[in-house]
Amino acid sequence: MIASTSTLLLGSAFAAYFASAFLYLLHLRVRRPFVLRGAVVLVATAFVLQTFILGQRWLAAGYLPVTNLFATLFFFSWALAATYLYFELRYRIHAAGLFVIFLNLLLLAGALPRDPAIPPLIPALDTPLFTLHIAFSFLGYAFFAMAFSLGVLYLLQRRLASDLLPDPGLLRKLNEEAIFLGFCLFTLCMIMGSIWAYVAWGYYFSWNIKGVWSFLVWLFYAGMCHAKFVRRWQGTGYAILSIAGFGVVLFTYLGIGLLLQSNHPLD
Amino acid sequence: MNRSMFLNKTWKLLCSLKLAIVLASAATLLIMGGSLLIPFNPRVFSHMDAVALGDWLRTAGAAQPALTWWVFAAGALMLLLGLNTLCCFLDWARNLRARWRKSGEYLIHLGFILVLAAYVWGSLAGFRSEGDRIFVGEVREIAALPGYYLRLDAFEPQLGASGRPVDMLNTVTLLHGDRVLSQEVVKTNTPLTRGGLIVVPSSFGRQPAGFNFFIAGRGAVSLAVGSQFELGGGRMLRVIDFIPDASRRSDGQAVYLGDELGDPAIQLELLQSDREPWRGWYFLRGEIPYPLVAAGVRLWPTEPLYRVFSVLTVNYDPGAPLAMVGATAMLAGVLLAAVSFYYKRGRGDRPEVV
Repeated sequence: MIASTSTLLLGSAFAAYFASAFLYLLHLRVRRPFVLRGAVVLVATAFVLQTFILGQRWLAAGYLPVTNLFATLFFFSWALAATYLYFELRYRIHAAGLFVIFLNLLLLAGALPRDPAIPPLIPALDTPLFTLHIAFSFLGYAFFAMAFSLGVLYLLQRRLASDLLPDPGLLRKLNEEAIFLGFCLFTLCMIMGSIWAYVAWGYYFSWNIKGVWSFLVWLFYAGMCHAKFVRRWQGTGYAILSIAGFGVVLFTYLGIGLLLQSNHPLD
Repeated sequence: MNRSMFLNKTWKLLCSLKLAIVLASAATLLIMGGSLLIPFNPRVFSHMDAVALGDWLRTAGAAQPALTWWVFAAGALMLLLGLNTLCCFLDWARNLRARWRKSGEYLIHLGFILVLAAYVWGSLAGFRSEGDRIFVGEVREIAALPGYYLRLDAFEPQLGASGRPVDMLNTVTLLHGDRVLSQEVVKTNTPLTRGGLIVVPSSFGRQPAGFNFFIAGRGAVSLAVGSQFELGGGRMLRVIDFIPDASRRSDGQAVYLGDELGDPAIQLELLQSDREPWRGWYFLRGEIPYPLVAAGVRLWPTEPLYRVFSVLTVNYDPGAPLAMVGATAMLAGVLLAAVSFYYKRGRGDRPEVV
């Protein structure tokens, strides 16, 4: 019952994101405020639907269900929508969110054909440290995805100087904010993960490839948090780093999880 | 250039933000490339977590330098980055009155320094030991910590609905000599910890420890090492030893082959009031030894008798408590930095640019 309701609601959320992407694209031709407002309302609606599904699945499972590829894609998508809404409500970034919505559609398109059944929880995952580790991890990833989107838009805006997009100064500021918040959240993810690894395995850093690349993600964004103070790396350099950084994130999350053997299998 | 100028320049270089970026970038690129060797060379890298890093570098790392040089180089870069971060932190602390608003960011720096120092300490002075079998009631010395012992008081596997084991409840006592230091029920995510010592459950299994027999005129009886059985008429059977898998030497003695059930052999002693005691091996897949038959003792093996053992991971990392302090500093730093970020954004502050 829960699975079928979830699938229906998830389909509705996907449709709402799809429609919002359409409205954002429409706004490129029809520059009316109600088109933009409609797009934001649709994103908010999809986010509410996803939050409801997440809550329902959490209640049914008794734990935050993020233990397979369907659940992690769904949770990543939810975190990304939350991040987008944060920037939209705080800075009115409007069409600057289009990239994020496309990314969200990709994540949901990846989740939809998969089995939404919630697997039984193995004792190793039955700890609040797991919940915190996962939640901070995907919230961090979502901010890094937002930074990627803002970086791409910054580079575009430098070439196009379009009045549809925020000015490069604001995009730069938002990019720095996304990186900083993503780094803070990812640091919390690493701390929770390390403590959990220590109590579960007896050591807090693993030389498994997933552990190594998670550390690389942290080190890369730590470097970026410093690079914003160097004039040469501001603006274009920072945008390029944001794009490269998200490549590292994607490899760490999907590349290692799906292509290589690691201690964080996705399926 | 005079000495103070040289020292000043060196200090500035060590505190330099650009140096931090260069070192972090170099370490990132190096580890990115190097780590891709990990999944394709399991013989070299798959045991990295099984031993302390220092031990791995001295053994597997040193044996395959063409594959492992990047771990040494990354270690050197991380140590330099740690030194740079320490100098940066000390420079901030010297000017705390003017730069206190960056406390959050510098707490993260301090946390990183402490975690890095703790990891180096643990890698050099710690040890890891996986797959230590211990039977219920057994006391085991922790080899790398002379004078310290572990005793497994009780063990209970927890089985899921399908009958598969899902958890292991080990009642473990840590002793120093005869003194009990700690007793915990060790299970998944609930280790026994003391100082840098940590004991976590890893697995469990069972090992043949004897056999059930049918003895003519007596019925079923379980015989394991140490058990004795009155046969009547002043005769007694004692079990001296048991080998789950043994081979027979030409002199009739048994040679140990393994702990898995293969060709089991039990060493018995028959005590008789009117004769000399007899001691010998009974290979259970073969004939009953003649001295037993001659004494009228007819026993047939029916099924093995198992003893459950727990497999524990016993690691010692003297840096672990320091790493926890570092993690706490980082946690506090992140929270403070986030609060301070919004406060500064609210005031319209921009970062200092170099």
